[in-house]
Amino acid sequence: MKKFFAILKREYFQRLRSRMFILITVLGPVMISLFGIAPALALRIKAGGPVRIAVIDQTGKLYQGAYRSLMDNAGQPESGQDEITAAAPGKNPSERFQQLGEKQEGRYEIEEVRLEGRPLNAVEKELDRRVLAKELDGYLLLPADLLKDGKAQYFGRNTGDVFTRKFLREALSKAVRQQRLAEANIDPRIVQELSEPVQLEALKVSATGDGVRDSGEGFALVFGAGFIMYLTILMYGQMILGAVIEEKETRIGEILFSSVKPFTLMMGKLVGVSLLALTQLAIWGLALVAFVVYGVGMLAANGMTLNIPHVPLIHFVYFGLFFLMGYFIYSTIYALIGSMVTTAQEGGQLSMPVVLFPLIGFYLFLPVSRSPDSSFAFWASMFPFFSPMTMLVRIVTQTPPLWQIALSLLLGFATVALVTWLAGRVYRVGMLMAGKKASIPEVVRWLKQP
Amino acid sequence: MSVSPATVVLRNVTKRFGEFTAVNDLSLEVRAGRIFGLLGPNGAGKTTTIRMIVNIFAPDSGEVKLFGKAISPATQDRIGYLPEERGLYKKMKVGDQLRFFAELKSVNGKEADLRVDHWLDRLKLSQWKARRTSELSKGMQQKVQFITSVLHKPDLLILDEPFSGLDPVNVELLKEIVLELKASGKTIIFSTHQMELAEKICDDICLINRSRKILEGSIREVKRASSRNAVGLRLEGGAQVLADQSLIKSIERHSDGIEVLLAEKTNPQDLLKKLIDGGAMIERFEMIEPRLNNIFIEKVSEAE
Repeated sequence: MKKFFAILKREYFQRLRSRMFILITVLGPVMISLFGIAPALALRIKAGGPVRIAVIDQTGKLYQGAYRSLMDNAGQPESGQDEITAAAPGKNPSERFQQLGEKQEGRYEIEEVRLEGRPLNAVEKELDRRVLAKELDGYLLLPADLLKDGKAQYFGRNTGDVFTRKFLREALSKAVRQQRLAEANIDPRIVQELSEPVQLEALKVSATGDGVRDSGEGFALVFGAGFIMYLTILMYGQMILGAVIEEKETRIGEILFSSVKPFTLMMGKLVGVSLLALTQLAIWGLALVAFVVYGVGMLAANGMTLNIPHVPLIHFVYFGLFFLMGYFIYSTIYALIGSMVTTAQEGGQLSMPVVLFPLIGFYLFLPVSRSPDSSFAFWASMFPFFSPMTMLVRIVTQTPPLWQIALSLLLGFATVALVTWLAGRVYRVGMLMAGKKASIPEVVRWLKQP
Repeated sequence: MSVSPATVVLRNVTKRFGEFTAVNDLSLEVRAGRIFGLLGPNGAGKTTTIRMIVNIFAPDSGEVKLFGKAISPATQDRIGYLPEERGLYKKMKVGDQLRFFAELKSVNGKEADLRVDHWLDRLKLSQWKARRTSELSKGMQQKVQFITSVLHKPDLLILDEPFSGLDPVNVELLKEIVLELKASGKTIIFSTHQMELAEKICDDICLINRSRKILEGSIREVKRASSRNAVGLRLEGGAQVLADQSLIKSIERHSDGIEVLLAEKTNPQDLLKKLIDGGAMIERFEMIEPRLNNIFIEKVSEAE
């Protein structure tokens, strides 16, 4: 046992102290948040001033509505849903619209161009000239029978600006709809009230009899957990691979094997690197929690509230267990690959297919969540390479009997032990075969050796 | 026949790698408190034999016993092993590295620190303790590697080509330590193909070639058993006598004289007499103990 800890300690502290580790630990969250924020930031950047648009209203009735609608962000999509963001329930819609409208004002400048007796052609020519001279970005032509056939035209210098196009289309649609309603003497507010969508509340039937509200957060969390698992496997699997190959490239193995059992060595490496991974994840996790707490606090200070996902505590325990299991299953596979090859490059090539297995686990999410008590789901959640993901899906959708969960865990961890043992054997003999890569029959022969 | 108990016993040990037989039906005994030379050319099976003793390989057949017991993890801790292919963690500091290897041999805590310091001092490496191993010269790394094999005061020390790549000063230093260890009752297996070195420090030897044992015993026995009968000469004249094929089998010329291998029935005294009678001026005449190197070459060519 002491030898196991000696190896574990070495693997852990040598890596912890390395500059690379420290760098990645610090830069990781920065990079991730950059990737998260960058697209949003990029969209925020509106190069140049506001978009200037002229409107020729041949219907004579739409300009007022269209102008208001444009300045209101054209917000209302057809269906009339108004969940735009984590909405403040306290505020009434018009107030909110004002807020959004204010946002738009800096971005669009609308002017009306009246024909005033001039022929349409001449006005268009004039506007074309202004667009080309960059006095305008474009102009909207609202034909007289727009209200009937719903067709309008936009002439612009940059018709590739999909945001502006979408914005204009929605704003116009809204203005036209309101005008039509007004002409039919229907109050738009009644329409909105009448087209409120149904809210379907899902209640999970539990043994205790009280329905538990389930709004899908559990599933989202499983998906999140699966995703983190996948990333972790990708990141640290390579590290395990490196740790196992290290002694081969330096030839320390001989001393190690004359001192410790291969299984102890493998376990020491595996657990050492895993603790390192957990350390890194914990640091990032804490940073994230701090960030979220700060963020929620800020939102709360601004009168916003956020729904904390409702997940039973026991599920977190299961997440932890299955996460560890999944992580270890794949790490040991990497260790096994590391034990079969002689250089890091070879290891990299051979480990490519390993990445695909957890992906299959992802694909199984859907069929399993549809019928979590089918025999397909049962077997999928027993097979060690997929069970970390599929069993979690079953647990949040329709918790299987405890014995099934226990069996799945047992099978998983048994696989871990088996593969570690295997890796130890292959490693020992393979590495002393003096630098030659092992063929499968050779590996089988090594395993048979006492 | 041995009086002192055997530290290592191999009985009819065979090890194959696929078609290739690395060690063939090898039996040997390493007696306690002695230096045992495991000799043979490259590829003879020395390293495979050692790997079976340190429990890296299991023999295909035959048995290996250490300290009178079957090999187990417990016996591993009583062995110190300096493999031929050296390996240290390049990025680790020398001190950390030695501590790690001490822990692998179940030496922990303060005791480990004390021993690391003692040995670094002994091998004149103290000022390198906090340096990364990769900053050390090859010779220094080798000394560090040597320390890893003796830190846990092993009862059996196995050194596979321990002196290769060391300068003469350090060879002397290590030799001194090895002899000290022997004096304190440790058993040492010394594997090499450098016969001169083996001759100087081994008590017993075992010669293997092409996976088979071809000779064993104490150095003295081995030499006595050798049929070699050689005389070192420096002289002027006597060419006629030396050309007599009935007296002399072969002549080897060195920079400061010649070495004469006598024919089987020639008595060195007769040769001396004939040379003097023949009018040769003799500057040096000495009986040469057969050298291990020569015995080795002889035996190997005999076996083939």
